[in-house]
Parts: sequence; C-alpha cells; structure tokens
Amino acid sequence: MSCCEDPRASCEDVLAEVWLFLDNECDQERRAALRKHLDECNSCLEHYGIEEHLKELLHRKCGGEHAPAELHDRLRSSIRENVLRQAEVTVEDGPEGASVEVRSRPSSSTE
Amino acid sequence: MPGTNGQASTAENEQPAETGEQQQRDEATRAEESEATETAEQRVARFERDAMPLLDQLYGAALRMTRNAADAEDLVQETYLKAYSAFKSYTRGTNLKAWLYRILTNTYINGYRKRQRQPQQQPTDEIADWQLAQAESHTSSGLRSAELEALDRLPDTDVKYALQQLAEEFRMVVYLADVEGFAYKEIAEIMDTPIGTVMSRLHRGRRQLRGMLTDVARDRGFLRSEEREVSTP
Repeated sequence: MSCCEDPRASCEDVLAEVWLFLDNECDQERRAALRKHLDECNSCLEHYGIEEHLKELLHRKCGGEHAPAELHDRLRSSIRENVLRQAEVTVEDGPEGASVEVRSRPSSSTE
Repeated sequence: MPGTNGQASTAENEQPAETGEQQQRDEATRAEESEATETAEQRVARFERDAMPLLDQLYGAALRMTRNAADAEDLVQETYLKAYSAFKSYTRGTNLKAWLYRILTNTYINGYRKRQRQPQQQPTDEIADWQLAQAESHTSSGLRSAELEALDRLPDTDVKYALQQLAEEFRMVVYLADVEGFAYKEIAEIMDTPIGTVMSRLHRGRRQLRGMLTDVARDRGFLRSEEREVSTP
C-alpha cells in the first residue's frame, strides 16, 4: 500500500499515535498528516474506529451518574449555614484592624 | 490598611510618573475590590449557579474513586464545602470543572483515602500480576468487530466494575480522559503529575481495561468460547 510508505505518517506512526489523535492532542500539522493516512489506509482506519468506539463506549457506560437529591439539599444547606457562621467569625476577630476583608465593608464615609 | 484609604496610596506608592499608569493601577485595584467586596450572599449565589450543576459529574468521579456510594457522598460533600470556602481564590473565567476535580482529587488522596470505611482492596482482591499481564496482552488491534459488539451489549455495571479493577492511578486517568473528556494538560493539573505521566498511565490503563472488558464479555457468554485465548484450568 502506498500509504504505508508515506514518510510523514506510516502505519506504525498511526498505531503509535492513534490515541493522541483520538484525544485531540496532536498539533494541527500532525493531525492533518495522520488524518490523511487514515483516509487512505483501511486497516489503520479500522484500528482507529475500534479505539474511537471504545472511548465512546466508556463514556456512555461509565458516565451519567446522578448524585442523590438528598446530597444536593444537604450541601445547599451546609453552605448556607457556613455563610452564617463565617459572618459571625469575621465580626469577632480583627484586633489590630486587620479585618480588611469584612463582608459589610467599611465605607469611606467613616473617616 | 483600614482607615487610611486616602493616604495609603500616596504614602506607599511612588509618585505616579504617568497618569496612564496610575489609571491602569486604579482599574486593577477596582477589579480586585469588586471581587473582594462580593458579599457572602452573592458568593453563595454564584457558587450555586456555577458549581452546583457539576455535582452529578463530581459524584460520578467520586464513585469511581471510592467504589461505594456512601463514601462517594461524603467525599463530594467535603469537596464542595472546601470548594466553597476557597471559592474566593478561584479565578473567574478559568476552568471551574477542572478546579473542582482538583479539589476532589486532593481531598481523596490527602486524607480521605486513609479513613475510608471500606478498606483498600485486600491483596486477594487485587488482580494478580499475571492477570494484568494477560489483560495487557489483548491489545486493541486484537479486538474484532464481534468483540466490540459484545462489549456494547455488556451491562453498564460490568463496564464500571472492570474500570474499578484498575489500579487507582490508571483508573482516574482513564476516567478523566474517556468518561469526562478532559485534555491531558487538564488531567495533569488535576492529578498534579507531569503530562508524560498522564500519557503513560492512560496508555497502560486503557490496555488493561480493554483486556478485562474482553474477558468479561467472554465470561458472560457474549463471545464464543473458541475465541478464548487462554484456557482456565
């Protein structure tokens, strides 16, 4: 096959770089060279197809989990609680005036 | 410096040589201020708007890390509370999802794992080296379309189970790359490893995983027995 003699991307190169290609991690020039090889070489294209299929399969079968609604609610209220607690804390400390980050910011009118 | 707002700028900064420079500085300060003066209420609202929608995904990753639902919930909760308290330091406009994943991974590795309810798998549970070697020997080029079809027919739980069998560092990289679609650079940041490490782990992880999946498909009878390469005693 003439494609296999392509010095820029041989079948061996394609096998070695198929994941980089699949993961979209090659630079544009390299990508174009590999793409050209895939377009012309059936066995490499088939190999690539399998890799692509497997990646998609993992995404389909291992993704799409749903956190329990209860966790969502619990988080929401913990965060709200935290805010209240933090507000109290920041009012408390700040002995030498280091409390620059106080929520209710001191307006310049106090001077 | 409280109470010295007006004077501080003249006392501490050199005299502005150019007004343009001064102006730039003022704008920068103002931008910082607007982030710093965000009220707690505003921050909660921003957090709920931007971070909470990613909960399902983070939970999914936590499930793959901890391998059980109760621990995954705890891990995600801890992650979100940490994320909220660090939310001020999160630079807006940067990748929030990667930022959250990084906190999740850190929380898991730097503490959570140690006090996990379910102990790390016992040596007997771990896949023996020979199994790994066997799994790795099935390279993807050995996969044929019949095998792919068989894998497609596997129930989700089987595929998840196979993923869970991978050693942690491989499992997470494969999960982040294939299930979540993160770029190598993002994975490197999330896992705090060099990109080269990400690539080699991904490589080994994928090879092991597909070997295991092929074995599962055979065990489930989705692949005919004559296709079995290694006979079991």
